[in-house]
Parts: sequence; structure tokens; C-alpha cells
Amino acid sequence: MKNLHGILFSYRSNANLGELTRPRNTCSLPFGGRYRLIDFMLSNYVNAGISDVGVIVHESYQSLLDHLGSGKDWDLSRKHGGLRILPPFGYAQQPGREYQGNMDALDGVRDYLKNIRQDYVILSWGDIALNLPVAEMFRQHIDTGADITLLCTPSLLGVPHQTEYVSLDDEGRVRDLTIHIPGSGDALESLEAYILSKDLLMELVEYCASHNVSSFSKGVLQPRLKSLVMLPYVHKGYVGRFQSVESYFQCSMDLLDPAVRADLFDPVRPIRTKDQSNPSTYYGPDARSTNSLVADGCFIEGTVENSVLSRGVVVEKGAHVSNCVLMQGTVVKAGAALSCVIADKGVVVNQNRTLMGHQTYPLAIAKGSVV
Amino acid sequence: MKKEVVAMLLAGGQGSRLYALTSHMAKPAVPFGGKYRIIDFPLSNCVNSGIDTVGVLTQYRPLELNGYIGNGQPWDLDRSDGGVHILPPYMVEGDRGTWYKGTANAIYQNMDFIDQYDPDYVVVLSGDHIYKMDYSQMVDLHKRTNAACTISVLQVTLEEAKRFGIMNVDENDRIYEFEEKPPQPKSTLASMGIYVFTWSKLRQYLLTDEANPASSNDFGKDIIPAMLNAGETLMAYRFQGYWKDVGTIDSLWDANMDLLAPNSSINLYDTSWPIYARTPVKPPHFTGPDARVSHCLLTGGCQVDGCVENSVLFHSVTVEKGAQVEYSILMPGSVVKAGAKVSYAIVAEGAVVGENAQVGASPDGSADWGIAVVASDVQVGPGAVVSPRAMLREDVKGGEQA
Repeated sequence: MKNLHGILFSYRSNANLGELTRPRNTCSLPFGGRYRLIDFMLSNYVNAGISDVGVIVHESYQSLLDHLGSGKDWDLSRKHGGLRILPPFGYAQQPGREYQGNMDALDGVRDYLKNIRQDYVILSWGDIALNLPVAEMFRQHIDTGADITLLCTPSLLGVPHQTEYVSLDDEGRVRDLTIHIPGSGDALESLEAYILSKDLLMELVEYCASHNVSSFSKGVLQPRLKSLVMLPYVHKGYVGRFQSVESYFQCSMDLLDPAVRADLFDPVRPIRTKDQSNPSTYYGPDARSTNSLVADGCFIEGTVENSVLSRGVVVEKGAHVSNCVLMQGTVVKAGAALSCVIADKGVVVNQNRTLMGHQTYPLAIAKGSVV
Repeated sequence: MKKEVVAMLLAGGQGSRLYALTSHMAKPAVPFGGKYRIIDFPLSNCVNSGIDTVGVLTQYRPLELNGYIGNGQPWDLDRSDGGVHILPPYMVEGDRGTWYKGTANAIYQNMDFIDQYDPDYVVVLSGDHIYKMDYSQMVDLHKRTNAACTISVLQVTLEEAKRFGIMNVDENDRIYEFEEKPPQPKSTLASMGIYVFTWSKLRQYLLTDEANPASSNDFGKDIIPAMLNAGETLMAYRFQGYWKDVGTIDSLWDANMDLLAPNSSINLYDTSWPIYARTPVKPPHFTGPDARVSHCLLTGGCQVDGCVENSVLFHSVTVEKGAQVEYSILMPGSVVKAGAKVSYAIVAEGAVVGENAQVGASPDGSADWGIAVVASDVQVGPGAVVSPRAMLREDVKGGEQA
């Protein structure tokens, strides 16, 4: 896969995720016990043999920098290429402002794009959880001779007002792309990931910059449905989208399904993440843990059920945790009871406290809070 | 570039008393404590003590160990100056060169490696102990007392002293006599096999020792007695804390079980002295709807839907519904199928215990009871019985007894 270059858009901070994205952008949101969302797409790239990846960031990317480091955990610490973090370039005349759309972001890193060594580029967001065979998608792109291949899923998961949809004609070519409203009954959901040639990408970036077009979907795809051959790549496996606190909670609960885990954590294409050298998880003599996904380094003496626990979580004696997502370093003290709670990193729940959310309205507790 | 301290880790031992567990790998590569291999302890101690140049002397079955250490990245020992180096025996001009004849000979054969760094001190370590120790404190004592050699010692009982190399010391902890496994111990300070030498001194003793054809080229038997006879200053460094030799099946099992008493043994959760390991890429472990887990360690990639008590599970272990595991150690990738029972056993990497099979049993007071061991990749057929103290190296067919 030497001829494919990876670009990850990692600058959006989804406001609908409330407390969870206040200290970070969505790509560095912890998920699945030991991962950050960006691990999924980044691992997908690496598992397809992509050796050069550019990660486009804008604001609040400290936690992302800390997580990615030199890229060595993804084997992307290379002499040539490898991982490159691409913060915005501030011109004196044009001080830093938020990217208005992904074409705006690409224009912000135009010099990097010019130097890409590969003939093809995959663009995607770093905040979706899926195990995508990128190599297969690339092969389809080459075999079909499409100008742009769009990643789509047949299951409609997204919140409509944040989602784009694709309708196909009889030959399977993209006939329409609609934003926020499925264009037809059998529309596919676009996951906003694309493969195209570097030459076409550069041409589009230049065009958009000179015509003040910031959105790839509205400014490039929609006007060119006829002039460019756009074909979908349909991914039938699991897809986790994180557009609200509820969807974050639901995706976490999805992981308790063995079929979802088998798909998402396929050992043939492992999801890599930053190594932290945690010891194994300790269960005390009175501990109970059922139907739960528990990362290393936890210390559990109480009861855990239907939950996802990140590294280093402590559940003391007599504490009861059910239907919860506890991020790294959460401490649940003796006798506390938690149900349908999302605890961000480092939350401490003191003795005998009771916190309850609901499946449809989970309670999210901000990073570092003491209850 | 010059280094003040270079560590040399003796990792060539076969570990023959671990029987089936070391038939494919050297003792230091044996998995320990859910996430680690034995060698992670001395290696992490080096890094945490500020020693960034480590030679690992290998000889017996080195493949597993070489692959594990790799470029040393998990221990931050992938350095452009220093770092970790695997040092196997090698041939030299004129068909000379031999296997490592003894611990001292292993260092002798790698004098060129050590000389590259022109160190003031050399720390000699062995790869078969579980402990946390700040070697820099020991080096400090060595410097302060201007010693030629400092030996780390542990207080043992008078009875245990008969099984160790015992240091007899004066009131300043200066060693005046060394006795190997004395029937009537005069002191209870046992050598832990950890030495700090002033390199210029050790270099001389190694050359002299090598020239003596009668020597067994061993630190304990030859070098230390020679230094004592010559009147060199040898100091005892008193170590306090958890230290365990894991050279036998029983002691390896014991040391793993010690981890289930996190407050009274080596604390792996203490972030001020982390033990590093090369970790495979695995998702978190999953406890199924019917799982019962108590007093145990579980690691990434495990799937547990049976009952696990008082046990240590390494990564990617599967315990199916209705299976029972107690007082056992399940090494990476091993599988315990539905209805099987594993009790007081060590199941090595990739071994499979079939449906309703039984491996090991609780102690019954009889003399021939012991920990049962199933070697790596061995298949125990459905309904088969593996008796306590068995050392299973071959597959057992369904329904048979071994």
C-alpha cells in the first residue's frame, strides 16, 4: 500500500458531547476501555500498510499530541514519512481562525499536501470507531477507476442533522448527496471518508481556495456529481458514531456484544493505541464482574456489571457499578452506587454516594470532578 | 561514550528446574505475573535506577528472549548511546571462543563490550529473581566505602541460610568470609546474586581467573573468594523488601500467588517504580454474563465466562462457561473449555484444556501431590485427567489419564 497517503481530520470538537469534549477534541475522546477515537482510523490506515499519515489539528489538541507522541505505537515513527501532526499555519495578515470546513483545513496544510509522495490519498475523520479494511477500499478505487470513492454504511446511525446521505443510480454511481435528509428510501449513510488521486485533490484544493469554498460535500461533491465518477465503498461491519452523549453511551454498550467486539477488534487488523505499561487488573476476594469490558490496571473489589472500565479504575468494596462507562483513573469509593453514568478521566465518587442516569439519558461527569 | 555504570544481566541459564516451561525458552523469558516475563524486573530496575546501558548475556534457547527484548523500546532502552544489547557467545580468530563456561567467564568474554563504555562500575545481575531494587543506592554505598565489590544481601532465617551463599560480615557490614550453602551458618545474610564491581579491579580478577585452568569461572565460587583472599574491600548491601527466586515450579507458582496479596508483596500498581513489559496489542478483557471472578488477575484479551478464583491469567486466555479455574496460572493464549476444571496448575502458552477435562487437584496431604504443569501448545483432550504434579509435554487424548 505504498501508493496511498492518509489524512485524518482531527480538529472538530462536537458540542453535542457536552462535558466529554470540553477538555479535548472529539478524536481524543476515550472509548472502549483503552482507546482514543483516533486509534481506530489511524490503525485502519496502518493495517493497510499506509506509512505516511498527516493529522490535521486546530484547537485543543494537547491531549491528542500527548496520545500520539512520535507515532511509535502505530509503527509510524519513521525516518521518511510516518506520522505528521499538522497544526494551522498562522499568517500575519490572517490570524488563527477556526476551519470553516474540510476544504479550508486542507488549504491550511497545502504545502504539506504538495509534498505527498504517494499518488493517492484517503481523507477521513478521526472520530469514528470502525475496523475498516482500507486496503480493500483502495483496491476497489483502483479497479473501478472511480474519481472519488466514498465510504458508506447501509445502516443509518447518525443523527440526521449532523449526517450526510448518498443515493445511487441504477449503475451504482452516486446520483445524489444530501445533507441532513436522506434523499431516498434506500440511501446509504456517508461516513465522510474519501479516496482520490493526489492530483485531483490538489486541483480541488486550489479551486476551493480561489473560490472561497470551504465544504468538501457542498463545494466539491454536490456540484460535480456528473463530471466526476463517484462510487461508494459499502462497509457492512460495525460503525460507532459519536454525535451526542447518548450515542457515546450506546456505542460503549455495543461493545458488550461479542459480535461487535469480534468485528471491531478483529485480530487480523488490530486496533493499536498508546502503550502504558499497566499491570493486570486485580479482582479482590469479594469482587464480581459480569458482562463487562475491563482494561488493564484496574483494582476491583466491588461489583461491576454491564460496564466498560478504562485503565486504572478503582472500584472499592461494596461499591456497585452497573451500565456505566468509567474512564481512566475513576475511583468509586466503598458503598457508592453508579448506574448509567459516564465518568470522565480522574473522577472520584466518594463513599456511599448514589448517582443514576438513564439508558436514554446517561449522566456525564466532567473530567477530574469529585462527587 | 563513557558511562559511569554498565549493567550486565546473566540471562543464559536454562532453568532446568522449571522443566517443561523452559523447554522452548530461557528462564528469564518465562512469563510472570499476568503481564511480564521474569527479565522485566531486572531490566525495569536498571532503567528506574538510571542505568541506560545493559548487556544481556544469552546462551540457552535465546530466540524467545531476543525477540522479546528487541530494540529495548518498552524499557526506554532504545538509545543511540548505550541502550540494551544482546550478547551471545561468539567465535574468535583461530577457532577459539567457547560457550559461556561460568558466570565470570560470561563477563570475561564480553570485556570488549564493557570497555567500549569505559565504566567506573559494573553491576552484575541475574535474570531469575522477582524484586524491585534501586541499584543506584547500592552503587552509592559501593562508592562511599571505596569497595572493590559490593554484594546485595537479604536477611533469611537460620534454616533457609543453609540453601544460600552466606556472607559473614563485621560491624561495618564489610564481608570477611563467604560460605556457599553452609551446614552450620554463622550469619543469616544471604547473597541475592547482585554484585557491584569496580570495573578496573574486576577486570584484573577476570584475567587472572581465566588463566587458571582449574577455575570454574564462577563469581560465587571463584571471583569472590579470590577477592577476599587478596584482602580487597567487599561490602554487604542490605536489601529490604520483596525478593523471590523463581527457579522452581513451586517458587514460580508461589510468587505468582503472592501478587494476589497486593499489600503484602511486590506492589505492581506503584507508579513510582513501574515494571515495564512488551505488551501485545489486545482489547480489554471481557467478563461474560456467567463469569465469576474473585481474587485473581485478568489481562487484556482474556474472555472469561466461567469461574476463576485465586488465579493469575495472562493475556488472551479463554475460560469458557461452566469451566472452573482455581489456584492456577494460565499463560498467554491458553484455553480452558466448557466444564473443565483446572486446579493448582500452570498451563503454559497456547495450551488447550478440553471440555470436562481435569488438570491438577487440591492438596490432599499425600507426598506425591504437587503443582501440575501443562507445557506450551499441549492439547488435553475432552474428559482427560492430568494428575497433580504431572509434567505434561505431550498431548493427551480424550478420556485418558496422564
